[in-house]
Amino acid sequence: MTLFPFEWLAGAGREVGLVVAVAIGFGFGFVLERAGFGRAQKLVAQFYGDDLTVFKVMFGAIVTAMLGAVVLSGLGLMDLRAVSDSATSATYLWPMIAGGLLLGVGFIVSGYCPGTSLVAAASGKLDGLATVGGVIAGTLLYGELLSVAPFAAFTESGALGHLYLYDLLHLPPAAVALLVALMAMGCFVGAEKLERIFGGEAAPQAAPRRLVFAGFAAAAAAGLATLALPAAAAHTPAPARLSPGALAQRVLDAPWKVRVLDVRPFASCAAARVPGAECAPPEKLKDLYLADVSPARDVVVVGEGTADPLPAEILAYRGAVLVLEGGFAAWKAYALTPVAPPAPGAGAAELESYRARAGLAAALTGVQQAPPPPPAADGAAPVKRKAGGGGCSG
Amino acid sequence: MQPNPTRFWNPYLAGAALGLVLLSSYVVMGKGLGASGASFRLGVAAVEAVAPGHVAVAPGLRGVAEDGSPLDDWLVFEVLGAALGGLVGAYTAGRLSREALRGPRVSSAARLGLALLGGVIMGFAAKLARGCTSGQALSGGALLSAGSWAFMFSVFAGGYAVAWFVRREWR
Repeated sequence: MTLFPFEWLAGAGREVGLVVAVAIGFGFGFVLERAGFGRAQKLVAQFYGDDLTVFKVMFGAIVTAMLGAVVLSGLGLMDLRAVSDSATSATYLWPMIAGGLLLGVGFIVSGYCPGTSLVAAASGKLDGLATVGGVIAGTLLYGELLSVAPFAAFTESGALGHLYLYDLLHLPPAAVALLVALMAMGCFVGAEKLERIFGGEAAPQAAPRRLVFAGFAAAAAAGLATLALPAAAAHTPAPARLSPGALAQRVLDAPWKVRVLDVRPFASCAAARVPGAECAPPEKLKDLYLADVSPARDVVVVGEGTADPLPAEILAYRGAVLVLEGGFAAWKAYALTPVAPPAPGAGAAELESYRARAGLAAALTGVQQAPPPPPAADGAAPVKRKAGGGGCSG
Repeated sequence: MQPNPTRFWNPYLAGAALGLVLLSSYVVMGKGLGASGASFRLGVAAVEAVAPGHVAVAPGLRGVAEDGSPLDDWLVFEVLGAALGGLVGAYTAGRLSREALRGPRVSSAARLGLALLGGVIMGFAAKLARGCTSGQALSGGALLSAGSWAFMFSVFAGGYAVAWFVRREWR
């Protein structure tokens, strides 16, 4: 269950979604301006050590949003991983480090980052406007450079997929959130010491800091507390079933999108299995680290019969899990058994299904099937040709 | 209202407020905040207006122009809202004024040139890193994305590494 139907806002309710986008953007711009981020001197002071506002605002925002997301997910009001996969980009380590270093250089030269330059421009600052123009030109420059193959290859390097700190640390997100919040609060205290050393400023008011720190501590504690909620809150829906025909189609059309796991005993799997299937008898499942691997491919589980209930190792997989209906027995009956050709005059759908099954059985067993019967006399061809020929002649 | 150009919100309260805006973006839209993505779309729209044939043949540009206008995207609307929010924030605080912000030892023209140059570097860098300080560091960092944290530390490292060399622009 999620609080808001964001699929709806991106689809049928798109107009409402765009109004919401303007409203959220308004809040973003307003807060940035009020924090002082519409002024270059305030921003670059971060890099001369006497005013660490940028650091405080940025980490304060990160900790607030992080704790909020963790608590809402812990209560089952938000799906942390689904939102994370949609709101963040996958990790490409090398271009991200190179881009970060470059962006830092651009930041100190221009005095803004791309978002704050917009706020500065909107408040009449000509240097902000120049930066906005520069950012647009820079993104276009990048777009043009993508035509250069070695550069394009670099932009894809260090690909780690959607990778989160809690996956790296093998800790629940709430525990990582607590660690980050503690680290941030420690850094804030340190930052104020630095400000006093470099800027000689009087200590800022302590009351707002105490208030925000108390909020962080309470939210972090609430996040940890949700770990103790019964696991039933994170209900696991029954895995979807897949018919042997649908599996055959997926294995033949796009084998790189599925990972077929044969959970029968090793001897049975070694004797005959679905093409491309991995033999994964129960005692071997933990060696596959399904909880940690990329969830890009759909896992299809093949058992003796319909595999149910699924082993915990497979349920831990983060991507989609499908179960072959009827298990290997059904696959054998569908794909490895010669099919009787349909009677002459059969319907187009029946002929098509025969073609598919006969082709599959022939490919997997090496036994040629009888050709399908000729089309019925009334000329209803089972396969329609596109009018006007193909794309080249048309 | 008296102009009050240097009085700002307490940084911790501003941070918490910014965090709540970001959280509402996750919860309502399933997305984070962003800025540079919209700049790119604006740029592609401008290229399309000037040289209509070019976008279709540039592999790096046509991606955002394939389904309709490059401006038909949530980020563009979010950035429009951010500009409005900045305008209202500056106006109500007495900070709305036409000027170039610069250090005491640099001319206005040089400052504008450097602002443009820094912008070009950042636009390029933000595309390379798949997001800027808003989209990558802030939005990804709060969701604990590993790449976002690597990016964020790199931004600070890059800034500190060259701050000394450009001190004449600011100090």
